Amino acid sequence: MLVQFYNVSKIYPNGVKALDDISLKIDRGEFLFLMGPSGAGKSSLIKMLFREELPTRGQIFVASRSIVRMKRSEVPKLRRNMGIVFQDFKLLENKTVAENIAFAMKVVGASNRDIRQRVPEVINMVGLKGKEDCLPTELSGGEQQRVGIARALANRPLMLIADEPTGNLDMETSLEIMELLYDINRKGTTVIMATHARELVKQAHRRIIMLEHGRIVNDTPHGESLS
Amino acid sequence: MKLSNMMYFFREASKSLSRNRLLSFATITTVAVCILILGMAVLLTLNASRFINRLESDVQMIAFLDKTLTKAEINEVRAEIEKIEGIKSIKFISRDQSLAELQETYGSEYDLKATLGKNPLPHTFEIEAQNPQEVPKIAKQVDKIVGVYKVNYGQGIVERLFQVTHWVRIISVAFIIVLAAGAVFLIATTTRLSVFARRKEIYLMKLIGATDWFIRWPFFIEGIFLGVAGSLLAVGLLALGYGALLQNITSMAIINLVSDMTLLGKVYLSLVAAGAVLGVLGTYISLNRFLDV
Repeated sequence: MLVQFYNVSKIYPNGVKALDDISLKIDRGEFLFLMGPSGAGKSSLIKMLFREELPTRGQIFVASRSIVRMKRSEVPKLRRNMGIVFQDFKLLENKTVAENIAFAMKVVGASNRDIRQRVPEVINMVGLKGKEDCLPTELSGGEQQRVGIARALANRPLMLIADEPTGNLDMETSLEIMELLYDINRKGTTVIMATHARELVKQAHRRIIMLEHGRIVNDTPHGESLS
Repeated sequence: MKLSNMMYFFREASKSLSRNRLLSFATITTVAVCILILGMAVLLTLNASRFINRLESDVQMIAFLDKTLTKAEINEVRAEIEKIEGIKSIKFISRDQSLAELQETYGSEYDLKATLGKNPLPHTFEIEAQNPQEVPKIAKQVDKIVGVYKVNYGQGIVERLFQVTHWVRIISVAFIIVLAAGAVFLIATTTRLSVFARRKEIYLMKLIGATDWFIRWPFFIEGIFLGVAGSLLAVGLLALGYGALLQNITSMAIINLVSDMTLLGKVYLSLVAAGAVLGVLGTYISLNRFLDV
């Protein structure tokens, strides 16, 4: 079991209840969609996975470690098990494609030798060969997200967490990105993806968790609920 | 710490410095002004405490002895006094010596001995304490010794002097602390701009799994550099100014400024170190909020 939520609630200081008594389990190697309207609690749930937020009540375990009881100094180790992909890519504008990926390895203390070896590997994996020295501004949205995914993969994470990764992309590009994510999943990385896009999810036949008002209203192993 | 990381930190720091030249300049100026004011306060305090020390070390007591004492008894009194803790020196001055000294102040035209008939002065001990602050306490003990007629140390005035010097010391230290705190706040405000400009990068590093220290180091190196550059500027100005002051004022005998070069060197060096510390402290404060992810 990679992720376990036990009766997790999150109430923000302004009184908004983002999550209400959530319990769920995610296995290693799963591909999981988190769906639901804006404000349903998708982002809050995702942020708890890498401990940007802590639950108000309940327990969360990631790779058998309690996120709630974890010391501040242990958080970097937790996050090194995860690759995070953002809706707005969050690439560093003044760094090239290769430098953006190398940066992610550098900040977790990878050696220069490792970096030289791994960066071309992940660039190949996401299909950006030949674009190593481009700046993010010289790339299309889809290509930028590929860089984001390559960066997330660089440190060989146990799981990839993607918060609306196709939110800023058109349908065709989104499908390409989805293919890339399935591919990554097939190679053994757990993928957790929050999204609005019903069309993408419908064709996927993967596990879907539907959130509404901070509660799980549906959890289907193969996406039947949408078909 | 790995060497490759260390090199990375220095590279990042120098990149950031050259990218934000205007901001770097602003920070250096801020540090320079702060250290300059701090340095002036330190020099002022240094001179004030030197003045105070001299005033205090002038405090000594004189024990007047009973006139009837024999030589052996005088020696006994001396031994008694020497037993008291905290005594630095004790000097016997015979009545004849005292009279001779008195005669000197009156000049040769006026024959004291002839006028007075016999010497009215008693034998005395001049006693110095290791710590001038202890004088009143020691004086009380000396006064109790049999054979001592009276002890004089400027009763009343000395106590008030110590009260004044005590407060001068407290106020000057408080003044320096307040100035340093103000400097940290000012530097934190300027470095916050540079941290704020890179908040997205910091956030990203945190989510990727960088440790706080990995993120801090380049900023600290930047802070140390800016702090040292600013304080060097300030110390240069201060040394020039104080040097000129020393040259113009030594002719006046009353004002005796601290001119010990090794001491001044230590002060200047400490100020440069203080600049580095202020730089680090400033970045630490402004960085911490952004590390809380």
